Amino acid sequence: MHPNETAINAYVEESLDPVERREVEQHLASCASCRQLADDLREVLRAATTLGLREPPVRAWSRLERAIKLEREHAAPQDAPGAPHAAWTGRVRWAPWLAAAAALALATAIGLRFMPTTGPDPAASNQPGAGATIAAGEAAQSVETELRQAEAHYEKAIKGLEQIASSEQNALDPATAATLQKNLAVIDQAISESRAAVRSQPTSDPAQQSLIENFKMKMGLLQDTVALINEMRKGNEAGAARIASGLKQKGD
Amino acid sequence: MTAPKQRAPIPFPSKEPETTDLVRRCQSGDTDAFETLYRQHAARIYTLACHMAGSPEDGEDLLQEIFLQVYRKLGSFKGDAAIGTWLYRLALNHCLDYVRSRQAKMHKLTDTLDAEASFEPTARRETPIARLDLERAVERLPEGCREAFVLHDVEGFDHKEVGELLGIAEGTSKSQVFKARMKLRALLGRRA
Repeated sequence: MHPNETAINAYVEESLDPVERREVEQHLASCASCRQLADDLREVLRAATTLGLREPPVRAWSRLERAIKLEREHAAPQDAPGAPHAAWTGRVRWAPWLAAAAALALATAIGLRFMPTTGPDPAASNQPGAGATIAAGEAAQSVETELRQAEAHYEKAIKGLEQIASSEQNALDPATAATLQKNLAVIDQAISESRAAVRSQPTSDPAQQSLIENFKMKMGLLQDTVALINEMRKGNEAGAARIASGLKQKGD
Repeated sequence: MTAPKQRAPIPFPSKEPETTDLVRRCQSGDTDAFETLYRQHAARIYTLACHMAGSPEDGEDLLQEIFLQVYRKLGSFKGDAAIGTWLYRLALNHCLDYVRSRQAKMHKLTDTLDAEASFEPTARRETPIARLDLERAVERLPEGCREAFVLHDVEGFDHKEVGELLGIAEGTSKSQVFKARMKLRALLGRRA
């Protein structure tokens, strides 16, 4: 008789007592399918230990820096005595538009945190009777409403970032500006295609996801651009080069 | 053949003089010092956030929120623990809050093993699992078993600790990790 899979898993984890372990070992010696399961579980465990560190996108620090500066500007000095934001001394003057853009981008990112990543709750659509139809309809409507709100948030954030990027574009060297334009054109095309897909199939999860992903991609690119402009204004050549390199790689 | 040993959480730079000095500079409002602190720990925190959230996009948002919290709370850091330990704990708590609120929002219960049928069948592969394939497969794990798998098999916590962190019984942690491994086995084409 085969041991259950949980026992084989415990065997792989080496958490069986000696008697149970011996029993499983004896079985594995003569059962190819259980041996295969043990080998596979062991391989998954081994592979899990190889998952390396992921480097965050280059824009992440710039986004954070902007959000922190914004927070410091809005914090009353008496809010938190001794806390870093009361004591931080800014070395760069930050234009109000940058703070506004940071707030908008951050608010959008956080606001969209709870955007559903799947379609309507399948449990609702599986309910029998007329109630189920209504529930499914309401769920679909709710998803559509959330999608419209998300779209509006993204468009607003993108518009703000676009204004910044275009008004400051002279700060960029021609090659970087051209790469940026090329990348934006590709993403805009993808946005219009996914938007058309959503319009024709409003409840399609892949279409919704695709539209949101394309919005996120455009915001990411614009945030990188603003971060690049910032680094150049600060005279941080290393930081600017790092971001510019990321922008070019996206265009390759 | 013996099973791979559990990996202890990757140690952070601890109470070395330069680390203590860095924290002190951060607390006194030195933005360059805070950037250094960020660059020392961002990859570790981002990796955790991506795994727990299940996507790099959400991982990036979490990273930002976590370091904003670090910024806000660093003044209260007394140095009782290493800064890396303190930071990791803060990041982990933030990730867990995120996971819990998303689960509550989406009413998405952990799948059972029966849901494996929803994964597309893949031809059996015998080659070692590539890191990138595993990264993608982990992102596709259902909520519940993904967090338990990440904390146990990737981050190196034992089942008791995973249970405490996730607010579940130790036995539930074991079964969730087992479910995750079985799903990964299917997703990675290792099931006959």
